[in-house]
Amino acid sequence: MQKLYVNPLPVRIWHWTNAFGFVLLIATGLQIRYAGLIQLVSFKTSVAVHNWIGFVLIGNFFIWLLFYLFTDKIKVYHPELSPMKYFRASFKQIQFYGYGIFRGDPNPHHVSVYRKFNPLQSMMYQIIMMLLVPIQFFTGVLLWDVARFSAMIDTFGGVRVVDTIHVLLFIFFCGFIIVHVYLATLGHTPLAHFKAMLTGYEEVEEEPARGGSL
Amino acid sequence: MKGSSVMGATILSSRLRVLMLTGMAALALLGWRADARADVSDLSEEDQACLKCHDRPDLTKTLENGEKFSLHISGKAYAESMHNETSCEDCHDSIDAKTHGKKPSAIESSREYALGMKDICEDCHKKKFKEYGDSIHAALIRDGSTKAPLCSNCHNPHTVQSSEKVRPIADTPCASCHKEIFQAYSKDVHGLERTAKGKTAPICADCHQAHDVKAASLGEGVRDTCLSCHEKAVETHANWLPNTQRHFDAISCPACHAPGAKRRVNLRLYEGVDQVQLSQKTGVPQFVKRAIAADEGNLGLDERALWSLLKEMNEDNVAGNIRLRGRLEVSSAIEAHQLGEKSTAVKDCNTCHQSGAEPFQSVIVTVAGPDGRPLRHGIQKDVLISANSVNSVSGFYAIGSTRIRLLDYLLVLVVLGSISVPIVHMTIRRLFRRALEKREAEKAAAAARDRDQV
Repeated sequence: MQKLYVNPLPVRIWHWTNAFGFVLLIATGLQIRYAGLIQLVSFKTSVAVHNWIGFVLIGNFFIWLLFYLFTDKIKVYHPELSPMKYFRASFKQIQFYGYGIFRGDPNPHHVSVYRKFNPLQSMMYQIIMMLLVPIQFFTGVLLWDVARFSAMIDTFGGVRVVDTIHVLLFIFFCGFIIVHVYLATLGHTPLAHFKAMLTGYEEVEEEPARGGSL
Repeated sequence: MKGSSVMGATILSSRLRVLMLTGMAALALLGWRADARADVSDLSEEDQACLKCHDRPDLTKTLENGEKFSLHISGKAYAESMHNETSCEDCHDSIDAKTHGKKPSAIESSREYALGMKDICEDCHKKKFKEYGDSIHAALIRDGSTKAPLCSNCHNPHTVQSSEKVRPIADTPCASCHKEIFQAYSKDVHGLERTAKGKTAPICADCHQAHDVKAASLGEGVRDTCLSCHEKAVETHANWLPNTQRHFDAISCPACHAPGAKRRVNLRLYEGVDQVQLSQKTGVPQFVKRAIAADEGNLGLDERALWSLLKEMNEDNVAGNIRLRGRLEVSSAIEAHQLGEKSTAVKDCNTCHQSGAEPFQSVIVTVAGPDGRPLRHGIQKDVLISANSVNSVSGFYAIGSTRIRLLDYLLVLVVLGSISVPIVHMTIRRLFRRALEKREAEKAAAAARDRDQV
């Protein structure tokens, strides 16, 4: 087994803060939205906690953004510019998760310091980090003080439109977190990827690696 | 030097004392004069001549409509009134002293007479008259109302007192038309305090204005009036209420401060870039006509009917950009005057922020009518939770209670799907692994058998 340092400290700090923050945001978000069904915490406390965590995660987002903007590690997010190459690699990856993994085939993606994401991860994380997460933060800030941002809210079609976008993304993140955790267990051992995100070192077999996380 | 300055100060002080004494004497004299005016003998000779007949309580006239009209003017009350320096002739200049009382003059009704006299008030009370002209009362009169108040319905011109003078609350003229509302007020926190302490609590005109009276359910006037006395209300609410300003914008004060009141959602139409409340123009009854046409079963507009009503109104409207903005309010003016003590106000977020909350069970849509009164039409309550209303009711959303049901189903579907996919994937992996292990074992066994045979 070869050990590769693929998750530097700022990325790990961002990841785990983000992970726990998102879980808390989902929990408080459920409490806020379903106050009549769930009575674990008061509505007022849930709103206060939800707002605070939201702002912490906005700050945390900038740790991630600045780290990648000012280091060469940004290469892990560089898209594959050849569509043919990209679709071929994506198809292989889908084929692996949908069939090859059952037969014990090797993971077609080989992890390296500058290529830690497989094509599906690369596309998904770019969409999430550069589009969905900022939209979620932005709509969250608008809803945090509806009167202060009323002009902007009206520009986007009104408070109901902004809230609907926020809730749709909330639903997406609920699903994403469950699938993300499952795919993280598909390393060469069920805890391999979790350990890698704690220590920073990914254990990579000399042979093509099995599994990957999304 | 020091001595002269002390002396100077003493002279100044003695002069000041003389000046003050003179001032006090002048004030006392004026006071005496004012008291002295409160007598019939202080009125002009002409006025006293009028009162010779009109101070008789039994003096009446039968009008054309059969109404018995009192012509009695109490000389004492008149002399004590704010109009004691206005002579009879100043207002009744059309009367010919030579023929008055000798030749019968036809008056249709007391209402007609008051209507004819009201413009005379304008001669002196120009500012108040203009305010009154912009009021809902004046609009109703222009619209042909025979009940809306004229000057003399609220202010008896012969007995009118200073508005500064605190009178028993039962003497409030508004009570004669708005009887039930006044009864509610007299028992609420303001009414009880007014009765007990006088001016420390507001009465009708303090909140609704005496002359520039507008429909309370339109605009933000009444809320701002509450805040003009309860100056620290925003600050104290901000200590515990998240999104305070939004709550102030979207909820009328009585909705929380009138315990037990039935609440409703009032979707109000706003137009143009500045988003001013839409008012229907005179002679263009587009809102009422279209709302009735769209509401086929008379059950209230559903989401599609509301959407098409807004679309049609947007097409017609020059200012464009017609939007609905919701507001929580109590469902009647009587309930708006049942305000309780601060301790009884709604503070529990769950009152509104949960599915099926009481305030969201009744919904109406409103525009300001040409006469200043609100024009309303019922809306089906499910409009607030329908995915089809995202656009039409875009300006109103209350967390929990008006959440879109379709999103709830989507959440359940996504969560179940996200759990099911890994379970199915994991199960297939295990089944394959077993099959592979079995095949490997069989291969190994076959290889072992082959080795044994060799």
